[in-house]
Amino acid sequence: MISVNSLTKQFGNARAVSNLSFEVVPGVVTGFLGPNGSGKSTTMRTIMGLDTPTSGTALVNGKPYRELNWPLREVGALLDANAVHPARTAYSHLRCLAYTNDIPLARVDEVLGIVGLTDVANKRAGKFSLGMGQRFGMAGALLGDPGVLLFDEPVNGLDPEGIRWVRNLLRGLAAEGRAVFVSSHLISEMALTADRLVVIGRGALIADTTVRDFTALNGPDSVRVVTPDVQSFAAAVRRAGGEVDLVPDDAVAVRGMTSAAVGELVARERLIVHELTPVRASLEDAFMELTRDAVEYRSGGSTEAALIGSGGEGEL
Amino acid sequence: MTFASGRHSSRYGLRQACRAEWAKVFSIRSTWWTLFVTVVGTLVVTALSASSAAHHRPGWYQGFDPTNQSMSGLAIGALAIGVLGAVVFTSEYGSGTIRSSMAATPRRLKFLLAKLLVVGAVALAVGEGLTFSCFALGHAILGSSLVPPWSLTDPGVLRAVVGSGVTIGLLGLMGAAIGAAVRRTAGAIGIYVALLFLLPLLLTKMPGNLARFTPLIIIANSIAAVVRQTGFVSPVVGFVLFACYTVAIILLGAVVVTRRDP
Repeated sequence: MISVNSLTKQFGNARAVSNLSFEVVPGVVTGFLGPNGSGKSTTMRTIMGLDTPTSGTALVNGKPYRELNWPLREVGALLDANAVHPARTAYSHLRCLAYTNDIPLARVDEVLGIVGLTDVANKRAGKFSLGMGQRFGMAGALLGDPGVLLFDEPVNGLDPEGIRWVRNLLRGLAAEGRAVFVSSHLISEMALTADRLVVIGRGALIADTTVRDFTALNGPDSVRVVTPDVQSFAAAVRRAGGEVDLVPDDAVAVRGMTSAAVGELVARERLIVHELTPVRASLEDAFMELTRDAVEYRSGGSTEAALIGSGGEGEL
Repeated sequence: MTFASGRHSSRYGLRQACRAEWAKVFSIRSTWWTLFVTVVGTLVVTALSASSAAHHRPGWYQGFDPTNQSMSGLAIGALAIGVLGAVVFTSEYGSGTIRSSMAATPRRLKFLLAKLLVVGAVALAVGEGLTFSCFALGHAILGSSLVPPWSLTDPGVLRAVVGSGVTIGLLGLMGAAIGAAVRRTAGAIGIYVALLFLLPLLLTKMPGNLARFTPLIIIANSIAAVVRQTGFVSPVVGFVLFACYTVAIILLGAVVVTRRDP
């Protein structure tokens, strides 16, 4: 398991991670969610001993990464799929890694099989496509058969089939009792993959919760109503204890009431409605709500674009 | 699944790291190219240099040092071995492999030491191979000339040949340490070339004859010389200086590797 305690990482004047604490426990997939540039990669690099914390600690199985006896057998990580010498073959790269931790070479063939790259084992890594590169990075992470796994944006560059493959792999690894920590800026993907969520913005913790609680708490359900008499409808809802917001397309959103309650209210008050639709709050909305103040780079006032945009790498 | 622990080790160490670094160096084609250039370049220059000294009149060979003449090609070998050493580090930083390497061997000094041991061993083996080949080549080319008979058993000759090979080994280490400190291939090679070739050129233009203390001049005129030349340091002093330079640059590399995150 991973425990991050009051971790702070400062790069010159920029504070990438700020007093961050959370735990990643075995048996579940913990999603690490935050806008680009929010400090996810820095946190992961610090856990891996690649960045030295300014203060605080990041421990794996109770030890700093550098103190582990056989690091690759305890922790596997995919931090950057391109972190491979382009001229070395896939097999050679993994073989070199295997040597460092006394991992039997048979395991190299095994993990290449798991990620489906057996056929290109002797191809140079520089020739790999983006998707193959991600799979290859996965193979590296799995090499030591570790109990703790970190994946930084593992679905970047994958096609839908690849994304589903990663999702199943991560869930399978967690089901085997491993602690799986996976970062993403794709909220919808995390909703499907993760059980727990650690949400950060500007390097600080925003939420540490389950996916279900996160959605329930932060993105209340609403009822979308289209009515010709907004005034009377709004007054009726308020009398019934609900809230009304104007939303686009001449509709209103009712909060604090179920769609059934709104329907009954409409009948009781003899109002006309043209449309009445329950709207499920999405994880996306909850995330927007929470990180509204924590978005580092707002582009032209469009928070959405900055948050779930192209998937470009803004991290440090 | 747990793996049967390798032999007696209870944790990752230098042995594992060296094995990995060895495999790394020889799993890239450019290593073989660099070694090829090192060997061929050195031998070609030695052949040309020896030929230029062949078939002169007997008087021409007064004070002539055939061993030193045979080592002429080492200037090329010195250049190439440093590039090989530098690239061992810079290619990892350039490609990002450094992060998976340091995840596998997180003790950075251990990692650095493993790389240096491998580079040092390769460079030393190449160096000795080169100097003995150069000696043999020079001997073959100059043998038919009116050079007084000379062999490895003559005083100072074996020392010059073996010593020159050792300096090639040390130059490999210097290149590697510069690579570790600078991280970029172009920058590291630039600094290495400046140290080897530009620095002595610059210093000869200045008073004080400081050029004799620079690495390449030490090889050419002190260590590879059997006939002692005036104006240059003795082989022993040259060797001590050379070792000090190497240690200093390695320390610099070690400081950067441990202090600066990859």
